[in-house]
Amino acid sequence: MTKTWFVFILAAAAAASVSCARKADFDIAEIAPAEHLGEADIHGHSGEEAHGHDHGAAGETETGMHIHPAGSRNHGTQWFFNQPWAAPFVWGKMLRDTLVLAALSVTLAVSSSRRRSRRR
Amino acid sequence: MRGIYYFAVMTLYSLFRRRTVWGVAILTALALAGIASIPAYGLSGGGRFTVDTGLTSIEIGSLVLAIALASGIFPRDRETRIAFPILAAPLSRTQYLLGRYMGTALVQTGFIAVWGAGLVAIIALKGYPMPSDMAGALLLLGVEGCFLLAVVFFFSFWTSPPLNAPLTILLFILSQMSVRDFTGLMPGAEGLMRILRLLLPHMDSFHIKDPVAHGFDVSPVYILLAALYGLAYTAFMLSLARSVLLSRDLR
Repeated sequence: MTKTWFVFILAAAAAASVSCARKADFDIAEIAPAEHLGEADIHGHSGEEAHGHDHGAAGETETGMHIHPAGSRNHGTQWFFNQPWAAPFVWGKMLRDTLVLAALSVTLAVSSSRRRSRRR
Repeated sequence: MRGIYYFAVMTLYSLFRRRTVWGVAILTALALAGIASIPAYGLSGGGRFTVDTGLTSIEIGSLVLAIALASGIFPRDRETRIAFPILAAPLSRTQYLLGRYMGTALVQTGFIAVWGAGLVAIIALKGYPMPSDMAGALLLLGVEGCFLLAVVFFFSFWTSPPLNAPLTILLFILSQMSVRDFTGLMPGAEGLMRILRLLLPHMDSFHIKDPVAHGFDVSPVYILLAALYGLAYTAFMLSLARSVLLSRDLR
């Protein structure tokens, strides 16, 4: 029991050191390249802020609201495109996590079986 | 392997005799019927609303069903002393866990398939355009359901059923959060929160309801990758559950 927990503490420490590198996890808003952020990055403001400035390509209406082309990436649709399905640059990290989890499962299964057989 | 199969079938039969399972199934079916009864009011995006709320209902139904199915299995087996003769001779603890898991997973995926078919029928009856990746969205909901079931099994070996439900719901909520939102819960301990988030699953990986509802194509590679990720996490949770069960003194 103690040995398994020791291995897990070591694994957690390894995970901690990797995580300190900050970009180990896949938060799209943190690791997205500039081209993924598209127009949202050019604007440089969140959707909640007031829109009292010129938006260039976006069309202005009489009421002062502006309309972006349907399906485009912009400050209003950032939440939509900041999801894993729309961010191929995080798929490699998903694959990495899949492999790590598979390896951990096998290690845990083998170690708990050995521990049980030793106890008998 | 045969032992696991027979025990899974036994589990399947015993689950269908429980009223809780049917209660959750009927509630989710009622939610889908409610979504079907909402008129489109002549708006062009009525189909999006139906797909989005329908898939969300199935996901919430899947979470509640996982808790209803699995949280009480081991505590009940222990309380009624059914577990002792089973584990004493015919089945090993691993076979017991896998048999129980396979039986409940069959019920879970079966219900998700029925709810999904119901949603597809609603979309077809209302004349809305059928999203191209509907099958992929339902597949990932099924994988998510199996993962939640493994989480409930893991908790059931060391907590009581009343504690199992809030723990599973808490994990469900925390696992949907982005790293930024999660670290924002305790801004003073960002490093610790980052480590915790790294250990928690990314359940947002299973969500493709937004692109499906809005008519965006999702890459089949992504659907496969997300399904593999979910299955790997399920295997990990089952390994943890097995480790806890093997180390328990059942006398």
